[in-house]
Amino acid sequence: MNALKHNRYRNAAAVVAGILFTSFVVLQVNSPTIANPPVTSEFHGPEEVTAILKRSCYDCHSNETNLRWYDKIAPFSYKVAADVEEARKRFNFSEWDSIPKGDQEGKLWYIVNMIDAGRMPLPEYTATHPSAKVSPAELGILKKYVTEISRKHYATGDTAHIVGKPRVSQAPTSLNGIRYFDDYKNWKVISSTGRADNGTMRIIYGNDIAVKALEQDKIRPWPDGAVIAKVVWNSQAPDAEGNVKPGNFNNVQIMVRDAKKFTETEGWGFARFNGLELKPYGKTASFATACMNCHQLAEETGFVFDIPTKRVGR
Amino acid sequence: MKTNILTLFLTVLTFAGCSEPRRLAPAPETIFNDHDLQVVTSFHNDRTRTISVLYGNDDAVANAGKERAGHVAGEVYKLVTWNLKGNPLWFGGNINGSLVSEETVTVVPGRDGSPQAGYTLELRGGNNRENAAGQKAERISFIFAQQASVFP
Repeated sequence: MNALKHNRYRNAAAVVAGILFTSFVVLQVNSPTIANPPVTSEFHGPEEVTAILKRSCYDCHSNETNLRWYDKIAPFSYKVAADVEEARKRFNFSEWDSIPKGDQEGKLWYIVNMIDAGRMPLPEYTATHPSAKVSPAELGILKKYVTEISRKHYATGDTAHIVGKPRVSQAPTSLNGIRYFDDYKNWKVISSTGRADNGTMRIIYGNDIAVKALEQDKIRPWPDGAVIAKVVWNSQAPDAEGNVKPGNFNNVQIMVRDAKKFTETEGWGFARFNGLELKPYGKTASFATACMNCHQLAEETGFVFDIPTKRVGR
Repeated sequence: MKTNILTLFLTVLTFAGCSEPRRLAPAPETIFNDHDLQVVTSFHNDRTRTISVLYGNDDAVANAGKERAGHVAGEVYKLVTWNLKGNPLWFGGNINGSLVSEETVTVVPGRDGSPQAGYTLELRGGNNRENAAGQKAERISFIFAQQASVFP
């Protein structure tokens, strides 16, 4: 009786092992391969900068992906292939000029901030590829690099004659239906910022719902109906006393909280109106995905960058 | 030996306390209650590590916007200054920290009928910056000299 039971277990184990082995073989055979297309326009930077980027970013964000043997074993190979595909879509150091010239600098700041926040390289990637980790000293090199390129661009400040008020006859509407409005000028200012990285300065307004959410520390998530408006000017060069004052008007950015409507962007609707003609930003409705990718960095404050904050115990 | 163990224990405890992740919470106490004044302009200063917003009533906005030549009685200006700090969420950006001061300039009719400017300074958060009487005139001219930001 005992021997019969034992045999039955053995048979079952063999069947399970067979199924597992077959699945494993099938997965291996169908495992995705990652091709390395030609490098069309490589990113150029100082050697110490590119060395860090090559070691820490290029496996996913370039056409020079260097797979280790364990990256090619299914089921991991599926995850690796998906990550590389997504990473190359976000930006690709081998096709750097596919990013418009004017946006390349902003992308570099974004990269540095993603590393600074510990979001990149992906923790699950560095767990298996420890050499890809960016050390604090290396992060310092990257920060210095972006700071210097921006200083070079914005040191002179906005020297253009400041153009005064035009009147836009009709309030423009963003592709996602968010309409420009003037009423934010009567709202409370929740913060003001200076951005050395792109030579701008801002005033950030919140409507009553947004201000109340800040007062009650109820921003994760923010309540529906909260609206934040950010007015952006180009910065002038510092005056004799060191004051950096606003030059020409640049844009207005609006964030509208509606968790049901804007499900693809964490419940926030984004809109930006450029220049005094308030031209809505974005060619397709998917422009907000790019906004959200960056705003992921502000997850701790409900995806809003510019609110006044303090560190408190958990 | 006992002392050593105690020291080690306390050190470990201290470091454990420091390294405990701390949450980024809103600081609504830094939001200025503008009492329906509008933003005239803003500026920041890396040397003094401060950031300021100049508010004004309709008369003040009209003057700073150069819509009106001289000052008129009734103009109210408030220059609010905060400490400047790095934005914890974005390397490369600076944001206002705690409130430092609130300077108010009000234009009232003088004895001879011509408008006269009065000045008050309120310091916040244990700030003890001196404001000598002689500086008043200087601060009034500074505030009057600010040009309104261009809004759409």
